Amino acid sequence: MPLVPETSALTIQNGSPGFLSTPGRTPTSVTVHPVALFTILDHYLRRTESQDRVIGTLLGTRSDTGEIEVRSAFAVLHSETAEQVAVDMEYHHTMYELHHKVNPKEVIVGWYSTGSNLNTYSALIQNFYSQEIAPHQAIHLALNTGVEEGQQSGVKAYVSSPIGVTPKPENAVFLPIPCELQFKETERSGLDLLSSVSNGSTDAYPATDLDILERSLQSVSDMLDRVLSYVRQVLVGEVKGNAAVGRYLMNTFGASTDELEKGAFNTSLQDTLMVSYLANLVRSQAEVSTRLALATAS
Amino acid sequence: MSAPPSMAAAIAASLPAPQSAPTPAGPTYEAIPASMSKVIDIEADIPLACVQLDGMVVSKIIKHAREAHGTSAHGVLLGLDLDGTLEVSNSFPLPHHINDDDDKSVKGVARYQASMLRSLKEVQADDSVVGFYQAMALGSFYNQTLVETQAIQQEKLRHGGVVIVHDISRTARGNAAFRAFRLTKAFLDAYKRNNFSTESLINHRMTFSSILEEIPIRIRTSPLLGAFLDTLSAPSVSAEPSFAKPSSALPPSFSVLNLGTNNVSKNLEQIIEAMDAYKTEEGNLAYMQRQIAREKGKADAYVAKRKDDNAARIAQGLAPLPEEDVSRLFKIPVEPSRLDSMLLLGRIDAYSKTLEETSSTALVKMYASRGSAVV
Repeated sequence: MPLVPETSALTIQNGSPGFLSTPGRTPTSVTVHPVALFTILDHYLRRTESQDRVIGTLLGTRSDTGEIEVRSAFAVLHSETAEQVAVDMEYHHTMYELHHKVNPKEVIVGWYSTGSNLNTYSALIQNFYSQEIAPHQAIHLALNTGVEEGQQSGVKAYVSSPIGVTPKPENAVFLPIPCELQFKETERSGLDLLSSVSNGSTDAYPATDLDILERSLQSVSDMLDRVLSYVRQVLVGEVKGNAAVGRYLMNTFGASTDELEKGAFNTSLQDTLMVSYLANLVRSQAEVSTRLALATAS
Repeated sequence: MSAPPSMAAAIAASLPAPQSAPTPAGPTYEAIPASMSKVIDIEADIPLACVQLDGMVVSKIIKHAREAHGTSAHGVLLGLDLDGTLEVSNSFPLPHHINDDDDKSVKGVARYQASMLRSLKEVQADDSVVGFYQAMALGSFYNQTLVETQAIQQEKLRHGGVVIVHDISRTARGNAAFRAFRLTKAFLDAYKRNNFSTESLINHRMTFSSILEEIPIRIRTSPLLGAFLDTLSAPSVSAEPSFAKPSSALPPSFSVLNLGTNNVSKNLEQIIEAMDAYKTEEGNLAYMQRQIAREKGKADAYVAKRKDDNAARIAQGLAPLPEEDVSRLFKIPVEPSRLDSMLLLGRIDAYSKTLEETSSTALVKMYASRGSAVV
């Protein structure tokens, strides 16, 4: 008797729990790096008129628990007609060698395509990639660019598993696995820069540190305004207050800054002042020294 | 599913020309239409006013800089220059060579670059090299290799190459920073003559800040990229808003509001190191100067003695002794190059500038967070 209600969704079961880095382990989740996404989008923009969708290889790392991290991607030549599909293997190998030289930790983890329709050709290409990286399984990333009407842009990841009576490479079903975007803290500001540029903000570039600080403070101030008006409305009785929201607000604003005054805060402040003064001093010293070198004749 | 090697050639032959800026007339000997002649610039006459970076290049450089440990992350920029704007549309990292003097590794890098360019050309990516990029930490990028690479590729590339410098520590603080530089004419002049002695410095009025001149940068995201980013950062609507998890894939980050001095000690250490190196360098220079002065003094004394002797002999009526060539007797050492000390000064200045910026923002935040306390 099944413990969970019957669903029509297919899910991945972990093969053998307790095993570490078993080859042939089915990938369980995918995290994608923004660089890979942007590379794929750029390749899609550069495609020729005859190509409807473009494919390429994904590079990344595999963890022991079946999580795959896609770090970068490169395009691969391919052609697709009604009768057959062809992928340039030699090009793929060359590019992989080149990429491997720069970053030895990245290995082939799968392939991507910019259309979201999974047809026989996808199964064939998936089979080809799985053979390349045997015994590991290849993942397939379907990136929907949202250019066509009615289709939302997004990324989906799949793993294939054979289906059907005869084990032919075309007979495979693509099982979706969870996929999310992940980036390190250092890249965070790069992404912020890109999204602010794409939003058409006319701030001067490069922004100084103080500009960025000002923007963050401005947004915090806006958020505080919104919260304040909400609280006022609840007090007056216009809006029914949500108990969870109230508790959350109380926890957040409960912290006080009294203990900041004592102890290390003031000394730290003095240290920072001192460091700032020193830095200015060193700069003027360097400037003077270089002018002196010019002034002495012979 | 087979892919014979000729398939690649067939595909390449059947594809139309690249869709980037219109290609120059080249070997077909057609006249360039007058409307295009401002844009197609074969002789690289239009000077560069601005550098435009594509969004993908930005994230690729950041990723490479983060993964390569230390300051050895550098790579090639590809793109086109169009009507005074250098558009950088792609980049790829170069493998890190361990020993620069090793002939094999230099050739290996050249081979890598050539095959990378070939492969990119097949997928209709731009394949003309327009410059290099280099990532560094804490703000200092004046070093010998940068200057040499720039000077070498000055002749090979149009407009001389452009260097894009990325500061990984500044990005970590929340302010993604890219700056584009190229070598100034004055510096190129001095470098060609390989003469960095004092008078040449004075002649060219060269300080460390006039080695490189900065070009303004503009960042551009293709509309598709922008739409994608918007989709990612738009908060998803859900009935039961949760407080722990943010509701969009790209939530706004407030890490810049963190208090605390990060990297100050490391920055200070590097300043001290650079200053020590500079002191040693200056000491060497002073020693060489003293040597030169000593030799010159001896040569002058010899010449003066000769003159006196000759005068005495003429007075006595004897034939004067020949004035020997003093340069063969006294070897005056050549004046040392001051390029290294200039570069070191540039580094000191850059480090302290970064330090100044970090401490000033930290000060602002600390004073702001004191809140109601009397200042």
